[in-house]
Amino acid sequence: MAEPGRLEVKAVSKSYNVPGRPRLNVLSSASFDVEPGAFVSLVGPSGCGKSTLLRLIVGLDKDYQGEILLHGERIAGTSLSRGIVFQDHRLLPWLTLEQNIGLALENSGWSTEKKNKAIREHIELVGLQGFEKAYPHELSGGMAQRGAIARGLVGQPEILLLDEPLGALDAITRVRLQEELQRIWRVEGVTMILVTHDVDEAIFLSDTVVVMNANPGRIVKQVKIDLPTPRDRVSPEFAALKREVLHAMGEDQGLVLAREQLAEA
Amino acid sequence: MNTLTQTTPLPSTIDSPSPLSFLKLWLSPSKGIGLLLPIGVLVLWQLAASNAWIDPVFLPAPAKVVQAFFRMLTEQDLLVDFAASLKIVSMGFLSGAFAALVLGVGAGLSKRFEQFLSPTFDTIRHIPGIAWFPLIVLWLGLGAPAKVMVIAKTVFFPVFLNTLQGIRSVEKSYIELAEVMTLSRWQLVRKIILPAATPTIMVSLRYAAGLAWALVVVAEGLSGLEGLGFLIFRAQGLLLADQLLVCMVVIGLVGFAIDRSMFLLQRRVLRWKQGFEG
Repeated sequence: MAEPGRLEVKAVSKSYNVPGRPRLNVLSSASFDVEPGAFVSLVGPSGCGKSTLLRLIVGLDKDYQGEILLHGERIAGTSLSRGIVFQDHRLLPWLTLEQNIGLALENSGWSTEKKNKAIREHIELVGLQGFEKAYPHELSGGMAQRGAIARGLVGQPEILLLDEPLGALDAITRVRLQEELQRIWRVEGVTMILVTHDVDEAIFLSDTVVVMNANPGRIVKQVKIDLPTPRDRVSPEFAALKREVLHAMGEDQGLVLAREQLAEA
Repeated sequence: MNTLTQTTPLPSTIDSPSPLSFLKLWLSPSKGIGLLLPIGVLVLWQLAASNAWIDPVFLPAPAKVVQAFFRMLTEQDLLVDFAASLKIVSMGFLSGAFAALVLGVGAGLSKRFEQFLSPTFDTIRHIPGIAWFPLIVLWLGLGAPAKVMVIAKTVFFPVFLNTLQGIRSVEKSYIELAEVMTLSRWQLVRKIILPAATPTIMVSLRYAAGLAWALVVVAEGLSGLEGLGFLIFRAQGLLLADQLLVCMVVIGLVGFAIDRSMFLLQRRVLRWKQGFEG
């Protein structure tokens, strides 16, 4: 793996010109750092610019003010050192699982042998052995998303960006995949940045939760999560952190809901 | 995690069906429902002939037609005519489809190239193949090349337009994925754009194959001295209704076979695609 570098997001803003309306600020002066090997989550309501920020970091969108630095260099365009997992698994329907994962290695410059080994190892990593030759339509939603995670990791990127990868899954599969994701993060030692609107998910997985809010999209708070793992989702410490995050989001309604959920649990 | 793997059905890629199993499936009792209608028509035909509802000169009995079929096969070189028609259709289809795929991909990938071609093509497209035929015959003579050319023209446009459309409707999210994987333009075309456009292209090829077969009969009827189309018009002139019906049935069955083969090809090429199966 390439030496994991520090990611620095410095006063990043993005706005759109909408004809006949005031300029739309999707992201206003966002700053945060990600240490190598860390797990950072961006949480916030829709419209807070969290996905925009992720697209900027992966390099799909190059038009912004401020600076995003990796190894001290400004990010310009996509790179194999930054992998991404989208909310829809985005596996190509005409390729089998192993071909889909292999596509990420197309420009890796590795030998066929090394590629095949990496593909095999990553299929094992996400627990999809036996499905190498399966087409995406033959996989369940959870399995397809595991495949997408394997594809994101196979090229051994420094950073894996996760854009609400579990958002479309049912609750049980989701919790299971959160645990999987935590295990994979430990095994691979890769820096992970997760965008989610699920506060539980963010606290369960992260070292740091970056809380964002909308109108304009901005970072309102960074919360360190110092709980030992595996984390108990119903412990008082977990609840306290959740309250802190929700409060920062200004989600009073959410707080009430969260209390109800805790009472039920 | 293990429970998830266990409860999910195994991929069905193992039982990739052979052509023979397709044939079996097709002939299986449940599919026999498709034979009911032709049998009904045959019965009605027999009744009409034996009760002389229609003058036997114009509607010979089924048995007579079968006899005529064997007579044509043994005494009149039906196979030679059949082969002549098939050859023209194949050549016309292959050349038309090939040109359409090449230019369609080109136009799909380059807006400029599309703008260069489209005014010309949109005009030519609206002049039917059969309207081109007289002029082409003047140039190329009564032989096979003129017919091949007209069929190629007829095949060309649906395939060209669908290839173009197929390429243009590739989902943007896939293009984004290619960007994240740092695929080059050529890799993008080969790995993503062409496979994504294949379903649309396959549909047009199947449709065009049908058009080609229908057109060869017309073209042969209009010029030349061989082929099923020639036979059918000659039979009309000589009032040989039995031979005429033989040709019609052969044309129909061959068209059916062409369509089924294209369907099987389509299924084979698009085996990754899961659609509504009725």
